[in-house]
Amino acid sequence: MDSQSYFPVPPGVGMEENFFSLDDILLSQERLPTRTECAFPRLGFLEKSADSQDIPEGTKMELPLWLSKGLYEKKRRVLSVELPKVYREGWRTVFNADPTVVDLHKMGPYYYGLGSQMLHFDNPENPEIAQTLLQTFIGRFRRTMDSSQNAYNEDTSALVERLDCLEKELFKSGQSGLNGFQSWEKGRTSQLTASTLVLNYRKRKIADVQP
Amino acid sequence: MDPSEVEFLAEKEMVKIIPNFSLDKIYLIGGDLGPFNPGLPVDVPVWLALNLKQRQKCRVIPPEWMDVEKLEEMRELERKEEAFTPVPSPYYMELTKLLLNHASDNIPKADEIRTLVKDIWDTRIAKLRLSADSFISQQEAHAKLDNLTLMEINTIRAFFLDSLNCMYKLRSNLQPGSATGQFTDF
Amino acid sequence: MFCEKAIELVRELQRLRDGQLPAFNEETLRQVLQEMEHLYEQNQNDVNEAKSEGRADLIPSIKLRHCSLLRNQRCLTAYLYDRLMRIRALRWEYGSVLPANVRFHMCAEELQWFSQYKKSLATFMRSLGGDGLDITQDVKPPKSLYIQVRCVKDHGEFEMDDGTVILLKKNSQHFLPRWKCEQLIRQGILEHVAS
Repeated sequence: MDSQSYFPVPPGVGMEENFFSLDDILLSQERLPTRTECAFPRLGFLEKSADSQDIPEGTKMELPLWLSKGLYEKKRRVLSVELPKVYREGWRTVFNADPTVVDLHKMGPYYYGLGSQMLHFDNPENPEIAQTLLQTFIGRFRRTMDSSQNAYNEDTSALVERLDCLEKELFKSGQSGLNGFQSWEKGRTSQLTASTLVLNYRKRKIADVQP
Repeated sequence: MDPSEVEFLAEKEMVKIIPNFSLDKIYLIGGDLGPFNPGLPVDVPVWLALNLKQRQKCRVIPPEWMDVEKLEEMRELERKEEAFTPVPSPYYMELTKLLLNHASDNIPKADEIRTLVKDIWDTRIAKLRLSADSFISQQEAHAKLDNLTLMEINTIRAFFLDSLNCMYKLRSNLQPGSATGQFTDF
Repeated sequence: MFCEKAIELVRELQRLRDGQLPAFNEETLRQVLQEMEHLYEQNQNDVNEAKSEGRADLIPSIKLRHCSLLRNQRCLTAYLYDRLMRIRALRWEYGSVLPANVRFHMCAEELQWFSQYKKSLATFMRSLGGDGLDITQDVKPPKSLYIQVRCVKDHGEFEMDDGTVILLKKNSQHFLPRWKCEQLIRQGILEHVAS
């Protein structure tokens, strides 16, 4: 169980990111395939394959989401952003057919988060992408719920292996509800226990001492 | 909420006891208790009943519904009905556990009662998950929680609220125009 | 790419999801600030040149550096803020006195922040009710006033309210007021023996 007094800043709920959320910061670090639509003078050193002083127009680069979002403009083309494969039509057909068979960890692991962020870029397919994201979540919901509410006292790594980051968080909160109830049923909730945080610190201290 | 907090609330429910001592009425902020006379039944909160029981100062009279026949009926009804049936007490699960753990010698057929209540609980939780799933898949906006108890809601609360947040996020994606405006995130 | 160092800081915290506080990474922090200074100077030059020589073609690069500046700022503030959340949690898990190995991971400003948080909390708790209320106690509804505890490790002498002193020796068992030992249980010195 996690520490009961440390509450990390949660990720943003709507379209916007939460400024202080570590999860959102890591999500916006995901790399996207992009193409420059103008030259970037004096920044050639950022693009290793080019040995010129500038990044020329038409260079294909992988840029993190935060930078793509920052540079992207609808009116003046500075950058065009390509849609990652998982959100293109071919994969959308697979997701729509049976969302439960897909390994979203491998495809993501920020399948929903990155997908939602992709809608910031003007793309004629945006409505279909948004629809597929929603339907995939709905289609997988029952499985996420059942596995998180049934797995008691067992190794859950196989269950969460194919889940996207967001589903993993859901799985965790499902588990905390189940574990809380089960330990109440066994009469363990009235027992005072040592802080997990303190115990983890102690473990680390021992690990530090041992070579 | 932690289940121990739900249990704490359940301990405020009243239960009948037969004390074997005498004591004048006591006046507390939460209400008056007593008077206690040997052999005369009196209503007290569960926390007091269990405390007295542990010190062998009373006999606990189980609530009316804590009875094998009545519970069997309830179990059948719960299995038959699609919706949640009314429960005998908003704290049926907690009271069963508290009373059976501390006063099982005062409750006839304690083991059968334990099993029956657990059966009812399991049936209701299965229903709860089924309805949570259809709530999500049909993208409903509100749900009635009639006849659900606090402990039942509590086991699924965190999971369900988080799921609704995800749904909100993914559904707000569908609204065209929500993506306009300059980005403020870096 | 720019901002690689800043994301390292964020990853460092994300690896310890249970809320542990890693050592304050002054070195990386300094490198990020250096990069920011560098980005700022570069932009200053390019902006001047764009203005005086009408070089509009420099604008995309200026924008890219500007985005990177803001990104660095976001990562740094998120790093510092999340650390404060962890430091606040320490007050609730350990009590008001932190062990040396935990204090060691904090920078001077963080230590100062911790002691101010401690003071605010104490002032608040003193103001509750007639003569104060310790809200870090009885986080779960208590079942009884006294509980059975076992010593997990030697802790030395422990004074009760009535002045009697008991010796907390490893593996010894005691029957103590719950509120007296709740914190020691949280710190893993005592163990609550279930009745």
